[in-house]
Amino acid sequence: MKLHEKILTHFLSCTSPVDKEGYLYKKKERNATYYRRWFVLKANLLFYQDRPADRHLLGVIVLEGCTVQLLDSDGYFPFSLEFGSGLKTYRLAAGDAQTQGRWVKALFLASHCYLSCLVRDLGRQYEEVKQQQECSDSLSSFRSFSPPTNSLVVPTLGPSTVVREGRSFSASAALPPPSIPTKLAAKKSPKKWQRRNAHVTPLNGPAPPYGEWSLVGSDPLIEFRKLHDFYGQEVQKAREEWLRSRQTEEDRSENDLIDLG
Amino acid sequence: MRFNEKELVCLSRQPSEMAAELGMRGPKKGDVVKKRLVKLVVNFLFYFRTDEEEPIGALLLEQFRSPGYTQCRVERGGHLQTFSIVFLDEAERKYLFECDSEEQCKDWIDSIIKASYEFMRRNLIFYRTEIHRLTGKDPLEQYGISDEARFQVNSGSQLVVRDTSSL
Repeated sequence: MKLHEKILTHFLSCTSPVDKEGYLYKKKERNATYYRRWFVLKANLLFYQDRPADRHLLGVIVLEGCTVQLLDSDGYFPFSLEFGSGLKTYRLAAGDAQTQGRWVKALFLASHCYLSCLVRDLGRQYEEVKQQQECSDSLSSFRSFSPPTNSLVVPTLGPSTVVREGRSFSASAALPPPSIPTKLAAKKSPKKWQRRNAHVTPLNGPAPPYGEWSLVGSDPLIEFRKLHDFYGQEVQKAREEWLRSRQTEEDRSENDLIDLG
Repeated sequence: MRFNEKELVCLSRQPSEMAAELGMRGPKKGDVVKKRLVKLVVNFLFYFRTDEEEPIGALLLEQFRSPGYTQCRVERGGHLQTFSIVFLDEAERKYLFECDSEEQCKDWIDSIIKASYEFMRRNLIFYRTEIHRLTGKDPLEQYGISDEARFQVNSGSQLVVRDTSSL
């Protein structure tokens, strides 16, 4: 099988990060003698050459599917890269225990599979953290309000009405979600619940009966919280949908822009 | 240059979600499109003659760019969907692949780009930085790998950093 070497040598010499480099001893399979080589670990590839400045690469070890083993001391500080039955075992050694430990750890973390799992895990954590942040951002803007004892005041957020009396208040004041695009917000709560401006009482008839204000009870503050929770769920769903659609949009558009040079 | 060929061939036999028969054309002048079984495993693109067990070759998917898929007209007024990979060495070697559909092209480019170790590393650094910014905690601490050179924010040259404001 042909391994296109020029791609590898270019990768080695380009400016992407080197993960570890240094002298190690490498045992030859045939004669069990250690030879000192300069090793460069980059991504999931371990290159080796005679000296650091050498242009000529002696070889490369692709580190997928191998286990890294610490070995008992044989005068040196050995360890091995084992690929499994029927496949190679590379025997390497460091000059001291600290170097040995560092190389073993670095090689252990070098595989593509390992990085893949790590990225997936962190990606999930990131999404969770982002969602939590957005939720707590919207909640904290309500909790920071502390009402005076004798009157009901709804916190003013955006162009909402401030209620000064009784148990009536405007639904539109309850939940301002600033990060949701207006067209999404327009589909949700404000349309479902008719706005009632508490200051306007119908001239030709009585005020709406208590029963119409289904979520309104005798204690306006408690009821406000209920309302907030009730509509908050809708808002949260909408926010999640929006975040998801933004993510896929961004993934798609990034394909054209990526230049891995 | 020596390499662990047997082990790499073994790697090429691992199951992969991205494996298909595509037309493939090499970078040299005079190269023609040939039918190959193309298979993506970790950050390598292996290509086989159909029904052969050992790959003909392996391409390391690092330091390349993909100009995106293109449509080209062929004889008799038909159309082909193709994508290419150009390696960023001095020779700027270009490999061209023919797919059955636009969707297949997009899937391949997407998968190939995301398979690159350097791409994954950049994502990791982004997540690490953001989680730390939002929570004050380093997510790699729990794994005991915070100090590894491999995962450092400032390692190597700064490649394109993702714009966090878009999120």
